[in-house]
Amino acid sequence: MLSSPKGIAIAVFLLAVAIISVLGGALGAAFGGGFLGGAVPHLQVPSELVAYIGGYPLYNTVVMFVAAIVVLLLLTWLATRKISEVPGRWQALMEILYEFFIGLAESTSGKAGRIFIPVATAIFLVVLFSNWLGVLPVIGNIGRVETTTEYFFHKFEGKAESEGYAEVLEGLHHDVGKMGEGMGHYLETHADVESVQKLVGKTLETYGEQDFVIFDGGGIRLLPFGRGNDYKLSLIDVVAYDVTDPTHPTAEDVIKIADRVGESVAPASVPNTGFFSENPEKYASLAGKRAGILVPYLRGSSTDLNMTLAIAIFAMVSVQFWGIKTLGVGGYWDKFIGNPFKRNPIDLFVGVLELVGEFIKVVSFTFRLFGNMFAGEILLIAMGFLFPLIGMIPFIGLELFVGFIQAIIFSVLTLMFGAFAIMPHHHPEGDHHGAEGH
Amino acid sequence: MDALGIDLSRLLTFLVGFTVIAVFLRMFLYGPITRMLDQRAERIQESLEAADRASAEAASSAERVEQELANARQEGQSLIAEARDAASRLKDQEAERTRAQVDEMLDRAREEIRREREAAVEEVRREFAGIAILAAERIVEQSLNEDSHRELIDRVLEEGLDARNN
Repeated sequence: MLSSPKGIAIAVFLLAVAIISVLGGALGAAFGGGFLGGAVPHLQVPSELVAYIGGYPLYNTVVMFVAAIVVLLLLTWLATRKISEVPGRWQALMEILYEFFIGLAESTSGKAGRIFIPVATAIFLVVLFSNWLGVLPVIGNIGRVETTTEYFFHKFEGKAESEGYAEVLEGLHHDVGKMGEGMGHYLETHADVESVQKLVGKTLETYGEQDFVIFDGGGIRLLPFGRGNDYKLSLIDVVAYDVTDPTHPTAEDVIKIADRVGESVAPASVPNTGFFSENPEKYASLAGKRAGILVPYLRGSSTDLNMTLAIAIFAMVSVQFWGIKTLGVGGYWDKFIGNPFKRNPIDLFVGVLELVGEFIKVVSFTFRLFGNMFAGEILLIAMGFLFPLIGMIPFIGLELFVGFIQAIIFSVLTLMFGAFAIMPHHHPEGDHHGAEGH
Repeated sequence: MDALGIDLSRLLTFLVGFTVIAVFLRMFLYGPITRMLDQRAERIQESLEAADRASAEAASSAERVEQELANARQEGQSLIAEARDAASRLKDQEAERTRAQVDEMLDRAREEIRREREAAVEEVRREFAGIAILAAERIVEQSLNEDSHRELIDRVLEEGLDARNN
């Protein structure tokens, strides 16, 4: 490769990109570099709310689930629009998929195994495209800015419910857009200021350390580029920087805090703690800018436990359905417990375990897929943080592979559980006769 | 549950979404594709059978052609033999007829010659008799009983001719 000038040029270019990447990333930031570094995105397990559509909350994982469905519709259209005995490329691809599953099902359950195919392949396709779309680079970095207003309100609301102050929330606006306004108004007019004081204190106690990124504007944003992960303000720095004891605010403090919650901007004075307290000159240009958390519009749907749980439930309900359809209700029940008085205790115990196992399978399905895909997302973010530009590339390949493997695992396990479900219960000879003898 | 973000409305959203797409895929992807797979398997089966049939047919027709060729050769052979036979028979007949004709012509010619000679001999004899008689008259100068003389002369001539012939 190094023998031709072209090869040398490519090698030099790659080396330069690698050096820029290392210097510009988190590693270089320790030596005054870090010019490519962004803030580490806010990570949370629950999917994020991105909008309301006619009062119905739209979550970012749902958006990506819809995208995966659209891809599947397209794939269906491509594979079947010119369906013929001499297959086109897309049709051949789908035929390979179905033949793989049909072969697997027929090798475990014979002709009866065909009933598993529609569900198993649907799981495979949906999980595969959910996983793959989630791996797409950049999508996690585009989003709307969740301001301190919105953040604080949600946490405050949560605290009010969990601490038994639900009545405090009455009269507060539930419209996200007017939340700041509502909050300030509410706090100024509400009679029960003592409860509010307590709740604000508890909210800041629990969530005061939450980091907020300083954005250059509102609306649809990318994470600000070139500012390292240090350029952040905690919730207390934004809303309660001049309150002496934020966890026990006075009535006046609460009004102050409510106003700042509504404004959601980086305050004029340099924070007392953290990075900026030691580098006050870096804060000057940021004061007055919007403080918030980036809520990505798009997030791979398999990083949402609701999605993995939904498919797991669908899979296990299908398995029970196949078992009952093939063996009948009695025959299927007999696999687990049957008549508990005619069964020997060990068998009964095993049966109960197996019955519990059916529910455990739902949980294991749910967390296996979620864990793999969420970990993948974190891995990609970490790599992008450490080595901007190129760090993600090999790991995107890895994540595509993991996404494929997880789709295979989910669908093939469903098929295998189905194959077990339609197998009649085998009574050990002696045991059966012994039971009849009583 | 709250920390994990699991709530019923999102769960139902995904469950309904997945059910819808699963039913859709069952109807519009699984259905047509497996139908096509089965159809193709059937078609391949049919083609294989047709190929078997065709090759069997080809084998039997080759045999028939062989048979027919052999028949034709045999027939040709026999035709040639027949023709040769007929030709030789014809030749024999022709030769026979020619010989018979020739024989007949020879016979006729021989008969003619014999008759001519006999006539000639008769004429000569008659002339000789007249001449002899005349000569005898002249010699004898007398008129003799012509009939008795004629008898005599005939005898003489007969003798004479016999002597010459022998």
